[in-house]
Amino acid sequence: MAMFTKDEIFQAVSTVVDPEVGFNLVEMGLIYDASSDDEGNVKVTMTLSTRACPLHQMILQWVKEAIEKLPNVKEIDIEVVWEPAWNISMADDNVKKALGA
Amino acid sequence: MFKISQDFAPPFKLIAPFFILGSLFYLFSSLYLFSFSVDDFSFADPKVISFAHLFLLGFVMMIIFGAMAQLVPVVLEVGHFGVELFYAIWPLLLIGTLLMVFGFLYSSALLPYGGVVVLTSMMIFVGEIFLTIAKVKKLTLVMSSVLISNTFLFFGIIFGLLMALSYAGTISVDISSLLKAHIFAVLGGYISITIMGLSIVLIPMFTLSHSFSLRPLEISISLMSVTVVLAILASFFHLEWLSIISYILAIVAMLVYAYLIYIIYRIRPRKENDIYAISLMFSYSSLLVSIIVALLYFVVGKENYLLASMWLLFFGFFGFLITGHIYKIIPFLVWFERFSPLVGKQKIPMLVDMIPQKSSQAQFIFCALGVSLVAIAILFNSNALIGAGASFLVMGALAFIRSVLYMINFKN
Repeated sequence: MAMFTKDEIFQAVSTVVDPEVGFNLVEMGLIYDASSDDEGNVKVTMTLSTRACPLHQMILQWVKEAIEKLPNVKEIDIEVVWEPAWNISMADDNVKKALGA
Repeated sequence: MFKISQDFAPPFKLIAPFFILGSLFYLFSSLYLFSFSVDDFSFADPKVISFAHLFLLGFVMMIIFGAMAQLVPVVLEVGHFGVELFYAIWPLLLIGTLLMVFGFLYSSALLPYGGVVVLTSMMIFVGEIFLTIAKVKKLTLVMSSVLISNTFLFFGIIFGLLMALSYAGTISVDISSLLKAHIFAVLGGYISITIMGLSIVLIPMFTLSHSFSLRPLEISISLMSVTVVLAILASFFHLEWLSIISYILAIVAMLVYAYLIYIIYRIRPRKENDIYAISLMFSYSSLLVSIIVALLYFVVGKENYLLASMWLLFFGFFGFLITGHIYKIIPFLVWFERFSPLVGKQKIPMLVDMIPQKSSQAQFIFCALGVSLVAIAILFNSNALIGAGASFLVMGALAFIRSVLYMINFKN
């Protein structure tokens, strides 16, 4: 039995906002997957909008800090993947509309 | 805990002097225009040479070097070899630029000193970049462009120093042989290839464009590299036919690059026309007009066409590309240093909140008018239009300085 659902983890991560575009990482479609085990260990699979993102390390730190706010969370493993590469079709409709995509 | 390093965002106090001095030199270059009359419109005129060095060394190189302190790790995906070396680069570049500008105008005896100081500054820069590249395990196309462009810069400044020594009578070399080599190595080899490589990282990053082929970039960088080598050979061996081939290749290289930028622009998901977007639109439009005017020069054969083309390349293409990116780079660095530690603790500004809307718009409008009017003035030999264009550019430069200082001093 997982301690946190995928939605709960996504909800926590949705407090992290990309300062350049002004949208949170979840609505940008940058968080690919999230899961936890029954002991409260959390794993997040995510990407960034570009490999050359200068905020790379900092965004990972913010994601970690956001998840740490969940009750009784233990280890947090964040895996950054580049496949599939992010593109705007992965973002929520409100993001696409706001950007004019 | 993740270790947060500053590898990808060096301390702002290290980079700020480059941007402040660069924007001041943009103002000085604009003010300098008031001293021009149509009689000065010649590449051989010391006033034109002095002006070109004031703008290219004081504004273009100063800002590129400052920006590279932050962008090199972003592009190369490794930390700097020794980012502290940048503390030595801007004072040397400042002194060297002033010596060269006054040397061309008043006393050629200053040129060797200016040349050596500029050379020292650039050697520190190039050395730091090469040692940083040495940390990279596998070079991508963009990383290779940094290596290629800095290699050309190395040779370009050597040619420049030899010319400066010859101007002052210290040594005797054929200046005409070195002139084209110097111009092509620095303008085509360093500035253009640097712009090609970095813009393909930065523009998609800010416009969120994806899924485009890098083949045109490969072609444009390869063509420009061949162009510069051919132009240097043509210059040394006085081969006019080879010079013409190199001119044509340079134009083709820039057109292929412009085509790639058009593709990135067309597929961009982020369609807002903010100061960054409109600056880049004016910049690339200037590049295209510059190419058209250069082609007209080959047909008409009048030197003022070539001067107008160069003007549009310098103040239109380079100028707006740089000022546009300043509105992205400074807010990021200031935000990173001042506000990123407060994320999750209190309400903090977004990067867009740090851009002064009125002064950035004023800068764009005044500078765009100024660049256009001076281009027309050069083409039609009009002293009145030079004055009008210079007036707009000075207003724009003052607005630009205001924007830079606003962003640097931004408080929530």
